[in-house]
Amino acid sequence: MNKMKSTQYTEKVLDHFRNPRNMGEIENADGFGRVGNPVCGDLMFMYIKVAKNNNDEEYIEDIKFKTFGCGSAVATSSMITEMAKGLTLEDAYKITRQDVADELEGLPPIKMHCSNLAADALKAAIDNYRTGSEPEVEVATSCQLEISVILGFDEFLGKGAYKGIPKDLGEFKDKRILIVDSGDDSLELGLKLTEYTGRVIVVTSSKEVPGREEIAKKLKKSDVKILHQSELLEIKGELDEVEKVIIHDYDEDENYELFVDVVIYLDYRG
Amino acid sequence: MSFYLDYQAAKPVDVRVVSEMTIYLNQKFANPSSLHCEGDEATDALGGSRQKVADFINAPNPDSIIFTSGATESNNLALIGAAMRNKKKGNHIIISEIEHISILNIAKYLERQGFKVSRVPVDQYGIIRLDKLARLITDKTILLSISTASNEVGSLQPIEETSEIATKNNILFHTDAVASESVIPLDVQKIPIDLVTVSSNDIYGPRGVGALYLKKGVRVNPIIIGGGQERGIRSGSENVPGIVGFAKAAEIMKTEINDEAEKLKSLRDKLIKGVLETIPKSYLNGHPERRLPHNAHFRFDYIEGESLILSLKDENVAAATGSACTSRTLEPSHTLIAMGLLHEEAHGSLVVSLGRYTQEQDIDKLIEILPNIVKRLRLLSPLTPPDLIKKYNEVNE
Repeated sequence: MNKMKSTQYTEKVLDHFRNPRNMGEIENADGFGRVGNPVCGDLMFMYIKVAKNNNDEEYIEDIKFKTFGCGSAVATSSMITEMAKGLTLEDAYKITRQDVADELEGLPPIKMHCSNLAADALKAAIDNYRTGSEPEVEVATSCQLEISVILGFDEFLGKGAYKGIPKDLGEFKDKRILIVDSGDDSLELGLKLTEYTGRVIVVTSSKEVPGREEIAKKLKKSDVKILHQSELLEIKGELDEVEKVIIHDYDEDENYELFVDVVIYLDYRG
Repeated sequence: MSFYLDYQAAKPVDVRVVSEMTIYLNQKFANPSSLHCEGDEATDALGGSRQKVADFINAPNPDSIIFTSGATESNNLALIGAAMRNKKKGNHIIISEIEHISILNIAKYLERQGFKVSRVPVDQYGIIRLDKLARLITDKTILLSISTASNEVGSLQPIEETSEIATKNNILFHTDAVASESVIPLDVQKIPIDLVTVSSNDIYGPRGVGALYLKKGVRVNPIIIGGGQERGIRSGSENVPGIVGFAKAAEIMKTEINDEAEKLKSLRDKLIKGVLETIPKSYLNGHPERRLPHNAHFRFDYIEGESLILSLKDENVAAATGSACTSRTLEPSHTLIAMGLLHEEAHGSLVVSLGRYTQEQDIDKLIEILPNIVKRLRLLSPLTPPDLIKKYNEVNE
């Protein structure tokens, strides 16, 4: 077997990928865990229902999952639900990544870290149950409250960076546009620009779709791509023209590059 | 029954090629450098093959063809060979953001050797920005390397205009023609190009053979040193059976390329239409028209590419993805990122490439099974919005 190949899975992994056990959501779950990040290619949601057994110990009565990711991400999620169902919380909490991999008769080495997050997701769900914390609800805020300096903004002003609404939107035809969420005006501009280009991205600090109800509704339906819980750090370009930006994702505490042609930040006061 | 739709990764060798090259494996096996009759026979075979490969790209002189072990070696010889040869003239090289991994990594190597490399950005379709290219050129620029097409998203590059810019600025122009050589004829007399990489397998010849075209007067330093074969530019006893097979493949391709490309384009168009019409939140990556006729590159929201490939595998369909989860580095496709896609968007990509033996039933099969595979993975994915899940469930009832 070629161990370097990322998709050389055991039959058991493939079986769980093809026929995932306990897939879905539990309404009014007692515990909910979320791990991973779609940017990295994996995201798992784990739901548990807790009851008491005859010895008055808490155990996992029901467990369900949803997963975005590769074959092993799906298989490990499915596998752990089978392993954990019926176990006491104490025992379920002890399940490790290695246990899940062993139960699946092994994972390709390259997948051991990146897509073997199911044990973490289960722990997160149990933690959530034990601390009894309500799933946080965030009101969508539409403004970046802290105005910080964006590196390169002044340098690229007029060369792809804008701080006002340009007179002729026609010049944005087919451009890749990044808009910094600075309130409803900026969001409306984003919606308007979808008439000129297929690529409008809004970067916002908000966790939910930003804007007042009516605008948020339109945004949801539109092709505008929203980068939540993120901020623009820097604008770069080799030829005195905007070429790419650095985005900070503060949920993940990570920076990444994004290729764009235009950056619009209305009323930028850096 | 299997459905092979990954021709950009590997192509089968045409049976006409196999029968042509077999006798050079066990009967006419001599070394062209030998002086005996058998050696002469091998020399003749080599010469005839060189002519056929030259004809394939309409090169005026067969001596302009240097046989190599494949496209990666040709790219190494072109970039490293030309850079080293011209380092007194300048140290600046220009490539694009979406070159094949071999070009990208050679460029990195040259950077470590003290050369400066600029990368031309691309637009949202994966086509290089000519305006920016012109402005990247300095008086230190010695070499420009832009492939004829993206081997991934299929976008055709403006090679003619690039060639004009190179000529005007007196810079060597290299193109890797591998992605397009089975579907778009290349004529180096019509478009002036100094160095061209071609591969045997990509025109249904055997693997392990390729060539570098060197326009008359263009000089490169050798990167493989030895007995001085191939005018001293590429040493090592010639791979005669491979070269004979390559030449036969080139001869066949030259006569069949236009009909074949047309057939593949109509199948490919059917596929694109079928997929985009039946699958919500599906997109075509790359340019809708300016693309290789045998390439379709899709993107599906909320799902990941490896899962897609595994599911297709269960239905005996072979295709590829630009998802990070299948790469050795766990990084998503550099081409998709350079086009401005976000990582999570690059993860959900599906690359379908057609070839000489693709039948309508291959396309029909994919159109038939893909909507359900995408649906299954979306129902599994926490990213899928509730209204889409609702829509999927309604159809069920």
